[in-house]
Amino acid sequence: MPQANADYNGPVMIVEDLYKRFGDLEVLKGISLSADEGDVISLIGSSGSGKSTLLRCINLLEAPDSGAVYVHGELIGMSRNRRGDPVAADQKQVDRIRSRLGMVFQNFNLWSHLSILENVMEAPVHVLKVPKNEARERAIEMLNKVGIVDKIDAYPAQLSGGQQQRAAIARALAVEPELMLFDEPTSALDPEMVGEVLRVMRQLAEEGRTMLVVTHEMGFAREVSSKVLFLHQGQIEEQGTPDTVFNNPTSERCRQFLASNL
Amino acid sequence: MEFSVVWDNLPKLLQGAQLTLEITLLSLMIGLVIAVPVALMRRSKNPLLWMPAYGYILYFRGTPLLIQLFLIYYGSGQFRPELSDLGLWGLFREAYFCGVLALTLNTGAYTAEIFRGAIQAVPAGDVEAAKACGMGRILIFRRIILPKAIRLAWPMYGNEVVFLMQATSLVSVITLLDLTGIAGRIISKTFAVYEIYIMTALLYLAITYAIVFLFKRIEKRLNRHLA
Repeated sequence: MPQANADYNGPVMIVEDLYKRFGDLEVLKGISLSADEGDVISLIGSSGSGKSTLLRCINLLEAPDSGAVYVHGELIGMSRNRRGDPVAADQKQVDRIRSRLGMVFQNFNLWSHLSILENVMEAPVHVLKVPKNEARERAIEMLNKVGIVDKIDAYPAQLSGGQQQRAAIARALAVEPELMLFDEPTSALDPEMVGEVLRVMRQLAEEGRTMLVVTHEMGFAREVSSKVLFLHQGQIEEQGTPDTVFNNPTSERCRQFLASNL
Repeated sequence: MEFSVVWDNLPKLLQGAQLTLEITLLSLMIGLVIAVPVALMRRSKNPLLWMPAYGYILYFRGTPLLIQLFLIYYGSGQFRPELSDLGLWGLFREAYFCGVLALTLNTGAYTAEIFRGAIQAVPAGDVEAAKACGMGRILIFRRIILPKAIRLAWPMYGNEVVFLMQATSLVSVITLLDLTGIAGRIISKTFAVYEIYIMTALLYLAITYAIVFLFKRIEKRLNRHLA
């Protein structure tokens, strides 16, 4: 995997004092966090607390108004367009950084016109320029890992929600990401399919992958993550190990949130 | 009713049908080449790009094709010196060229609108997923937006093809001997108005159903991922 700095061994991702507003609505108000290699960080909080926006600022699907994002020690350059909106300074840099991150969406967002195998091969072949047969081998390996290798020739519409989300995880894995971003990966699933997706995510965590997970699954956050962040109105209200956050929260709001979500 | 007159003139009518098909295909192909960039220009935020596209679409959708034909065929005569200087008079003198030009520009405008709608209908999540794995703008367009937009546009485009094929009958008024033009000429000699026009209508019907059939087949193929 090409890296900006091969000797770097600091945190995989650092966010410093991030602010983001949509019009008059201030969604993130000064968020800082960092992820070391192997960290599984769960972002919890009620809807509208800014968890998804934070996640989307890391790969610049949303452009933060101020603050800094470093991926593998590399600062993502920002500037402003003529209307004063924040934009990436160098789209090529953003594309390159994105290609080293894997993202899993709430609504899977598989490309419906491509088969499952083609979905998983797309980024390796067309972005990372991996030779086709190599990408194919790797895609099959990833689909095997998530347990749907029998569906390689199926199209997304022929799969259940849980299978689609597992395919989307395989797609994110196929670029050998340094960091995986999960944006409420089980929120759009029928209850009986949540388990199969969480099992795959748990397995990835055990393999030592660095993951940032926005989730409403408190069981997952408590058992799998190395760090839990509770967001409230665009700020980190509580953070620490799952044990501290779930058993000894200092913030009253966090306590209330947990009481109504456990 | 005298049906032997139909039989006698069928080879001529078929010749006319051939010209109809030829003009249709040619206009469609060039029209499509025009439509894709125009649709993209129309979506641009840059006024230098979207305004010309908007004006083009507005004019060619907002005026009758017959007027467009007249303007190009008869109107170009007024600019004969200028066109001669450009070496284009030889083209504009030809009814065939003027007919194809008007039809091409007309279908180009309609197709651009069809395509613009289809691009807009591509789910935002598809594009977001492509961005998230580091695909650049051109790659996203080529690999994700274009294939999906073609599938979304296909049924509407099929309609446009049928409309255009039937609209080609207008070129008969600028002296071209397409199916309609030939029919008129045969009738002026034989006075067999009903017989010839019924046969002409049947030939248009046959072509239309061939087009509809072809588009349905391709649509099925394009949508096998939804089965």
